[in-house]
Amino acid sequence: MKELSRRDLMIRGTGLGMGLVGVMLSVPAIGFLLSPLFTKQRTAWVTVGVIDDIPVNTPTPLVAQVPVGTGYPTPPVPRVVYVVKKPSGETLALSNICTHMQCDVHWDPALGNFLCPCHGGLYDIDGKNVGGPPPQPLAQWNKRFHSDAQGRTVLEIENVLDESI
Amino acid sequence: MSSWLTRPITTRLRAGMEWFDDRTGATELLHKGLYEAVPKKGGWAYALGSATLALILLQLFTGIFLLLDYVPSVNEAYNSLDYLRSSDAFGAWVRGLHLWGSYTLIFVIGLHMLRTFLSASYKRPRELNWVSGAVLFFLVLGLAITGAMLPWDQAAYWTSVVVTNIPHYIPFIGDGIRKLLRGGDFVGPITLTRTFAIHVWVLPFLMFSLIGAHLYLLRRHGEFGAWVNYDTDPGEDEEKQIGERIRHAEPPYPAKRIGRRYAAPRETVPFFPNQLFKDVALSTVLVAVIFVMGLISGAPLDGPSNPATLSYVPTPEWFFLPLDQFLVVAPTNPLIAIAIFGVIGLGAALMVLLPFIDRSPERRPLRRPEVIIPALFMAFTVIFFAVLGINRLYNL
Amino acid sequence: MNAHLLLDSLSPVSGSILTNGVVVAVVILLHIQIATFITGSTTLAAVSEAISMARGDDRHERLGHMLLKSWVYLFGFGSATAIFFVVFVLSGLWAIFWTALQQITFWVLVFEAAMFLVEIALVYSMYANWERLRAHRRARLGLLVLLTITLWWQMFLIDVVASFMLTPNGGDVNLLNQVLNPTQLPLTIHRTIGNLAWSGAVLAFVGAFNYLRLTRRSGAPQPDAPAAMRPLRSVGAMAVGHLEAERRRTEILHWEWVTQWGVLWAVALTLLQPWVGYSYAKEIQLHAYSAWYTMMFGDLSNVFLLQIFLLGSVFVLGSLYFWRRMNRSGAPRARRQLFLAIVLILLTLLAVQPAWFAPTYADTVAAGLNRPWWQGGLLNPIGNFIPFKASALIGMVLFGLWSVTSYATALSRGHIKPGGSGRGAQRAALLLGVVISMMMLVMGVIREHSRQPYLINGEITLHQQITNTAPSVPSLQQSQP
Ligand code: HEM
Ligand code: FES
Repeated sequence: MKELSRRDLMIRGTGLGMGLVGVMLSVPAIGFLLSPLFTKQRTAWVTVGVIDDIPVNTPTPLVAQVPVGTGYPTPPVPRVVYVVKKPSGETLALSNICTHMQCDVHWDPALGNFLCPCHGGLYDIDGKNVGGPPPQPLAQWNKRFHSDAQGRTVLEIENVLDESI
Repeated sequence: MSSWLTRPITTRLRAGMEWFDDRTGATELLHKGLYEAVPKKGGWAYALGSATLALILLQLFTGIFLLLDYVPSVNEAYNSLDYLRSSDAFGAWVRGLHLWGSYTLIFVIGLHMLRTFLSASYKRPRELNWVSGAVLFFLVLGLAITGAMLPWDQAAYWTSVVVTNIPHYIPFIGDGIRKLLRGGDFVGPITLTRTFAIHVWVLPFLMFSLIGAHLYLLRRHGEFGAWVNYDTDPGEDEEKQIGERIRHAEPPYPAKRIGRRYAAPRETVPFFPNQLFKDVALSTVLVAVIFVMGLISGAPLDGPSNPATLSYVPTPEWFFLPLDQFLVVAPTNPLIAIAIFGVIGLGAALMVLLPFIDRSPERRPLRRPEVIIPALFMAFTVIFFAVLGINRLYNL
Repeated sequence: MNAHLLLDSLSPVSGSILTNGVVVAVVILLHIQIATFITGSTTLAAVSEAISMARGDDRHERLGHMLLKSWVYLFGFGSATAIFFVVFVLSGLWAIFWTALQQITFWVLVFEAAMFLVEIALVYSMYANWERLRAHRRARLGLLVLLTITLWWQMFLIDVVASFMLTPNGGDVNLLNQVLNPTQLPLTIHRTIGNLAWSGAVLAFVGAFNYLRLTRRSGAPQPDAPAAMRPLRSVGAMAVGHLEAERRRTEILHWEWVTQWGVLWAVALTLLQPWVGYSYAKEIQLHAYSAWYTMMFGDLSNVFLLQIFLLGSVFVLGSLYFWRRMNRSGAPRARRQLFLAIVLILLTLLAVQPAWFAPTYADTVAAGLNRPWWQGGLLNPIGNFIPFKASALIGMVLFGLWSVTSYATALSRGHIKPGGSGRGAQRAALLLGVVISMMMLVMGVIREHSRQPYLINGEITLHQQITNTAPSVPSLQQSQP
């Protein structure tokens, strides 16, 4: 084996030192950068409101104050819950987040569809994507119902969608 | 002591300058910077590069002033800008300068790119001038889009939503990237702080490093200019003319690294004052436009962000309209992913790597149909998409 | 002012819908073929004249002159069809509709008609003075550019009317909203490109026709050394005995060049059409859903397939033309064109697959057979627009672009020898002209039929009944296959 000269030692030492500094700095930095991947969203249920008066087959937008669930504490933000009562008795709590690029869709009575203004995406009354760019149906909020003191049906949602969009 | 004081003021100044020059070498540096040879013909077109530089510096300057008020927090961002607009004297104007500066910058950097493309300035040995420039172009677009997200008004909020959603169509890692940009599944407080860091630190840092490299490379190879500077007189021996030209070329020409015909321009002028005058004239006009537009048109501020809207129609900035229309044309999986990352990604890659694709010695546009025709096609597509996008939004 | 108030005051005129419709179709299709050619070819002539001035290229000058002469014949005929159309067909057979439309789009039509005056003045004064103006070529170019501008402006105005009929925005008769109605800009862009491509196709046809005529007996000339084949410029150079042969050869060279010039315009511009056409269809989907449904799923869906077939043929014929010319000139990479032609054929086949084996989608549903064919149904999912047809279209555009670029590169490098075209290339060009002409007809048929049963979509029916009471877009409960 060749003898390690003083000069070679210094060169290698410099490289090693720089490498170590690099590792020491990048481990926490990269970890911090990637932290949203490991942090769990804080979930919570909120009340949307009484839904007894909503007519069948008429998508009706209600607004709920939904906790954000990520980042430092901030006040809840308003979000739309489209309540759709089906003739079968089923009730949907559709989000109005377009599955294409997440613009806000709205029910257009003239079209008989949910319309997304961004790129003209269309969904039918069940939230199924029927035209334009959207690749999948509208997601629903995680939902549950309960009766209040007067016996009316109250819709509650969690700040989580039932599928990934 | 007294003799120093009694000497005339000019002498004293000169002595001071000499002292400074002795320690810094300032004069030599200035001389190097100012007396570079530049091709004689087409100087106005070559002013576009320095206009770009001037506009970027303007952005830096006005941006720093915006930071005097702006708070990067979802609760405060809107209010801080609302305050800046309504209560701070000159605040709205500075914000207008920053916005119109960005519009002008994008326009001018596009023209600069167009001109270096048409003149094939990117050919050997200037390939890396182009590559660094193309990356700079994307950095500028990145700055524009992150900047649009910062005011956290309606426009900014919906821009954030759409823009941070785009990467999630990348197979496998897309969802993760969206989470990293947003700091969670939904757009929220971390989205804004991260965007802010990218807009104010990450991109400018990369950008100024690359500008340094871009300008260093420019000086290393000399301004190529355009084909008009490399004609030879008909009738006379071409080889002889070129040889003569190279023999008398001023530094940094001739470069040994290039075919002889385009090694050294036929005639050059010194950068100062000939070229610098044009550079300054163009920049002055552009800054004047920004100065006026910043005051009379300013920068808009929508209502505060509201995720629960039904009627708000998000409209992208004009330079993203073609992309937005492209999203319309590429519907439903798997076309979305193919369109965004296949077509646009491929287009961007081809753009950055242009010098390694177009390697013929030809420099005249009409002699390079292999790049000019696809580029024209792309240009028309972009323009049509922009027009159709405007039409669609108008008729919503 | 609301459209239907005005219309209510008119009483219907009787007439057979079928014959009236046929008359409209014949006159308007004739008119369109002429008018679009004049509009597009004026631009080509202006470009030619400019090139000829810059380069001293006589071929371009000759082409410009030929176009001017053809306008003089066509212009009179084209405007005569327009007059006949408006005065007799529309005012006579479709009076209610026409009165209504004319009232609504009054200003647009006034300016449109006024353009004829300007055009007549320009065309005839150029015709009378073409040779005299040779000494003032800038002035001549100026006149050409002016004519170009008037013609495009006129097309823009008539597009306002045409697009308003399809997407009247619920009968919104405000002038600005009329002009900027949802399909106006897409239609204008679509037609601008289409007219230029069509003019190129006509040139390709004329060039190829003449080439084939001149070489019918003797066969195509062999590609000589390029210098020898250049058109002779000086009469003195033509030895008396060779005069006739030389002139014939000059003619052949000229028409060969005209063909090439036309093919390049036709194919290159058609490359842009799928992009624009898609955006246009998207506006129709959003603003005239039933018309869109008729085009994509209804009666017209098969006509649309024919259109896609013709589109693919344009690119295939283009690459075949390029292949023959490169091959006969011995240009490098000529085989690539053949390869591209094959790829384009395959893509065309992918794109023209029907999505169902029944006249319309509704028929498969009615038959209860809306299942894939491998499950015994009538649906063919491989023929679906998304992703198959759309991908095939994108592929056509990209490979077509490659083909054009490749040829243009060979041309600019001097690899295409003048006189090197065989008759095969010219036959492809001839066919290209026919194909694009058919595309224009098919497009016209689709446009006029998609609105049925309306004349003005949602406002007035084919029976000239006014229906501005219902929303112009019916319910959208149908889901797409
Ligand atoms: C931050 C943005 C940029 C700045 C500050 C900048 C600055 C400059 C300057 C001052 C010049 C010399 C003057 C001139 O030729 O115009 C130059 C030359 C050049 N730039 Fe840029 N540029 C930028 C972006 C770009 C972009 C986006 C491209 C192309 C993709 C590009 C490609 C080139 C090339 C190829 C040259 C050499 C021109 C020649 O030698 O003829 N640059 N740049
Ligand atoms: S975001 Fe809804 S269609 Fe694109």
